[in-house]
Amino acid sequence: MSIADQERDDVLLRRAGKGDEDAFALLYRRHQGALYRFALRMSGNAWAAEEIVQDVFMTLMRDPKKYDAARGTLGGFLYGVTRNRVLKHLERLPREVSLEEKTENGAAAGIVLQDASTPAVQAEKRERVELVWAAVLDLPAEFREAVVLCELEERSYEEAAQMIGCPIGTIRSRLHRGRALLMARLEMLRDAPRRAGLTRKAGAAK
Amino acid sequence: MTCDEFEAIGLDAERDASLTETQRAEAAAHVASCTRCSALRVSWEAARIELRSLAVATAGMNAPARVEMRLRQQFGTQYNTPRVRRTAVVAAWALAAAAVVVGAVSWVNWRNSQRANLTDKSNTPVANPGTAEQNAAPDSPTLMADNELSDFTFLPGVLPTDTDDATILEVRIQRGALGALGLPVNEDRAAEWIQVDLLVGNDGLPQAVRLPNEMRE
Repeated sequence: MSIADQERDDVLLRRAGKGDEDAFALLYRRHQGALYRFALRMSGNAWAAEEIVQDVFMTLMRDPKKYDAARGTLGGFLYGVTRNRVLKHLERLPREVSLEEKTENGAAAGIVLQDASTPAVQAEKRERVELVWAAVLDLPAEFREAVVLCELEERSYEEAAQMIGCPIGTIRSRLHRGRALLMARLEMLRDAPRRAGLTRKAGAAK
Repeated sequence: MTCDEFEAIGLDAERDASLTETQRAEAAAHVASCTRCSALRVSWEAARIELRSLAVATAGMNAPARVEMRLRQQFGTQYNTPRVRRTAVVAAWALAAAAVVVGAVSWVNWRNSQRANLTDKSNTPVANPGTAEQNAAPDSPTLMADNELSDFTFLPGVLPTDTDDATILEVRIQRGALGALGLPVNEDRAAEWIQVDLLVGNDGLPQAVRLPNEMRE
């Protein structure tokens, strides 16, 4: 780790505010991954996540004084801005599962399964992951956010509550309802291929 | 603990740091005795495994490199453009100032050279016209000065060599005043105003006079 990597966020931001491009790039590289993954997991859309991350850093670039070190970490501040952008994006969209970006073999863009299993097993796993993601995206935004933070990003209830800016009880309640909806949705998704298979068999028997 | 309470707080009791040890123990006791909540927990564990696979599949994702490129471009525009503009303004002002200085210096030089020319003209000694014509080139300033001086009529008692530092003055006088310089005057036209050139010496006294052409003829 270089000396620059150890430099505090607020110091880097001050340097960036004075026109130091490298300091800004370092800040970007430090935070973009987490913000992008959060936006992607919440929106299910790589383009939207990209736009949101770019927009967040543009905001930071244009007005670095918006961040007040006394009120928390820069990461928390950036997460808050990202969260607002994501929620606005979701408000604008019609309620639909937006795993629309498929590669040539039908897989959702960005999903990478790193294992040594056969292509058939990999395809099956990828399909499963897509189903789970579709189920997560089908949750209402506030429940989805709690599930993304606590289950996908493995943050503690306290952290999630701090990031969203609500009591722990609210997080617990949202998670409870989100889990219930998610399990029901996953059950439905698990049963759908089974039902489709049964229908096909019944049609063939006739 | 009831089934509803277990669903609300017991399902994820291990991770919820805000729960007490007693609540955790109650949740564990409930799930051990309730088949419905036990099935629910199994179902949730299965869902959690699937969520973990989604988390792993999306864990290595980062914003594409083009985002950083665009941001760097924007950063350059935001911070470098005003700097370039400032530099351009400073450069423009510097150029304008340099142009003014060059102009002023040129003007001063031109003025000095004009003065020097005038001084040369006035300081040119009245030489023997013939000698001057023989020695000077046909279009030289010295010859022009000599030619000018050659039209002068020296006043009585003045030698051509006395006019070394003389100055030519254009004056408007009455023709009768020429008499005072020792020149013949036509009495009938004595009141007429004429323009003559006087060659005035260092002592301020006229030494020669150049009459208008028609008078010479």
